Amino acid sequence: MRWVRRGGLSTLIFFIPLLASFGLFSWWPILRSLLLSLQRTNFLTSEWVGLDNFARVLRDPLLLTATWNTLWFAILAFVIGFPVPVILAVFIGELRRARRLASALVYLPVIFPPVVAVLLWKAFFDPSPQGVFNTVLGWFDIGPVPWLNSGDLAMPSIVLQATWASFGTATIIYLATLMSIQTELYDAAEADGAAVSRRFWHITLPQMRGVLLVMFLLQVIGTFQVFTEPYIMTNGGPENRTVTILMLIYRYAFISGDYGRATALSVLLAIVLSALSAVYLWATRRWSTS
Amino acid sequence: MPPTNVRKSAAALSASAAAFALLSGCAAESPSQPGSVSITVAGQPTQENPDQLKAFKRKITDFTKANPGITVTGDESVFDVNTFQALVAGGKLPTVSYVPFTEMQGIIARQQAADITGYVGADAAVKRINPSILKVATSPDNHVYGVPVQAYSMGLLYNRALFTKAGLDPDAPPKTWDEVRAAAKAIHAKTGAQGFGAMTKDNTGGWVLTTMSYAFGSKIQSDDGKQANINNAATRGALEFYRALRWDDDTFGSDFLIGYKDITNALAGGKVGMIVQGADTYTQVVQALGMKPDDFGLAPMPQAPGGLGTLGGGSVAIINPRASAEEIKAALKWIDFAEFGKYNDEQAAVTGAKAAAADKLPVGAPVLPLFDQATTDRYLTWVKDYVNVPREHFTAYFDSAKTLPLVPEPAAKAQETYGILDNVVQAVLTRRDADINALLDDAQKKVQSAIDAG
Repeated sequence: MRWVRRGGLSTLIFFIPLLASFGLFSWWPILRSLLLSLQRTNFLTSEWVGLDNFARVLRDPLLLTATWNTLWFAILAFVIGFPVPVILAVFIGELRRARRLASALVYLPVIFPPVVAVLLWKAFFDPSPQGVFNTVLGWFDIGPVPWLNSGDLAMPSIVLQATWASFGTATIIYLATLMSIQTELYDAAEADGAAVSRRFWHITLPQMRGVLLVMFLLQVIGTFQVFTEPYIMTNGGPENRTVTILMLIYRYAFISGDYGRATALSVLLAIVLSALSAVYLWATRRWSTS
Repeated sequence: MPPTNVRKSAAALSASAAAFALLSGCAAESPSQPGSVSITVAGQPTQENPDQLKAFKRKITDFTKANPGITVTGDESVFDVNTFQALVAGGKLPTVSYVPFTEMQGIIARQQAADITGYVGADAAVKRINPSILKVATSPDNHVYGVPVQAYSMGLLYNRALFTKAGLDPDAPPKTWDEVRAAAKAIHAKTGAQGFGAMTKDNTGGWVLTTMSYAFGSKIQSDDGKQANINNAATRGALEFYRALRWDDDTFGSDFLIGYKDITNALAGGKVGMIVQGADTYTQVVQALGMKPDDFGLAPMPQAPGGLGTLGGGSVAIINPRASAEEIKAALKWIDFAEFGKYNDEQAAVTGAKAAAADKLPVGAPVLPLFDQATTDRYLTWVKDYVNVPREHFTAYFDSAKTLPLVPEPAAKAQETYGILDNVVQAVLTRRDADINALLDDAQKKVQSAIDAG
């Protein structure tokens, strides 16, 4: 009864809707996919197959291709996509009058529904000489470039679109961090005669490192789950050069109707992402206290 | 095989369109079981098509009048590869639904359709269906899992307006692959449009390449589905044909990541002269994409010396595997009534065709005879006043249906095979230095291991 008097009951009552909705829409599906990964099912009858689905996933030569492609996407997204918002945030931060307008403009691409944006860029990447990018390149006697039709260029092209679609959010977050840096630090540096580059290197970057690390880890987790862009733009082609892990899961489930294999690969991906999340939690704790 | 969602939906839709076209009048038949049974049937038109919906509802009324023990509820679902498995998993698959030919063997292997063998009486319409068509719904151990309700074969589809512009005779389409190549050159040179086109993604590239292999003279799998036969002279020939048009003639366009929607858009919009595709595409390009009926050209699938024939496609009515014996019986009665009544009853045929023509649905679209030629001819005589498809343009295609063999899809792992072949097609079309032999050797290994994995 003490428990009730101390508010245990009301806490429980308030908790029930939360538990129910999480249980029904999060935990049960997670548990269900764990079970499915150990079964062969047609959704009418199911048969326990142990780790056979995992073995079949690991035997699929396409897994290596998809893993490499996903990593390649992550690397390219880091090289192309990571510095852009940092630079833009610093640049916008330096603006005196047009900062709000610039922030709004930078954020604009995020407002586009992803499918619309991807389709728009697909038209830009039209490989014919009449394509948008190829027309521009044509003015300088370059091309036509095959873009998505080239095994070497397809993934960088997708990363270019993905960067465009997402850099707005990152820029705004960096900008907010920049605005919170004490201006006295800059004033002091300026009084000491430090140039812009030195101020950036010695004040801005160290002040932003916590946010930068968090954004980096979030980006890595996000890139491991890339699906929409390659699915719409190339459907994994040419020659599977843009097949990602999530696309492979999709193909197992919806093209082959093999839900056991699809959930097995999902579980494997979840394990990798959980490991990354653990690193993320450890690092954020460490960096926030340092 | 209609591998993209759109195509699959289109195939299922056109089958059901044929179904709603029929308004009944069938002789009343007393139900064998007066006890009540309820079934749901897919293909109900949406509210946006009030006339078709009315016709569909009237058909249900007529059916239930003739079969008082059966309650029928319409369901708007159409086949979509993304939702089919979820419908099965959630137990929401209608009692009767329509799936494309190409999905049937996978559905049978996964036991996702009811085995109707024991329910098909000796006098059932299913028994009269052309055996080569019924085979798509039959398991390797000769059990029947569905009722084909519409069939077509792959042919050479072309834009007649572009042919005319290029100085080619639209009434004399190419008969050989050399002629196709020459026509592609003429179209590209005179009109600037792409001469020939092929799909490459969503498994469609492999599907069309398989059709091409048949036309060049080889199957890609043994008949028992145990042995892959990917690297053969015919497939190499088909890919050499692609290579020549792409890299020597430059008549194949520049985008090689395209699916059904892209290629049909290009054909309807006059961007491409010729494609290899199912004859039923007529409905998609004319009705949905607004191509003029007179611009749609359809020729038999050109055959190289030793060509085996062409691939077939179509729509199959399947019954929910969870259906009870009574529901299966009722569902079979419905399929018979909705899909085949028009072949047996003049009034049903005429009423259906009249309603379809009023709704601007194609009447007399180029499909293959499901039963014998005489049954099809009789139906066409009954509805001749309502035919709104320029069938005179397709004479050669109709004639070829009598002589050109229909070659079935690979018996095992067809979709996975097509997916693997997509890559081969993409390689040949995107890389000038692609080594066809090495690509096919690699595909052979992958397909064989997919087959062996079971």
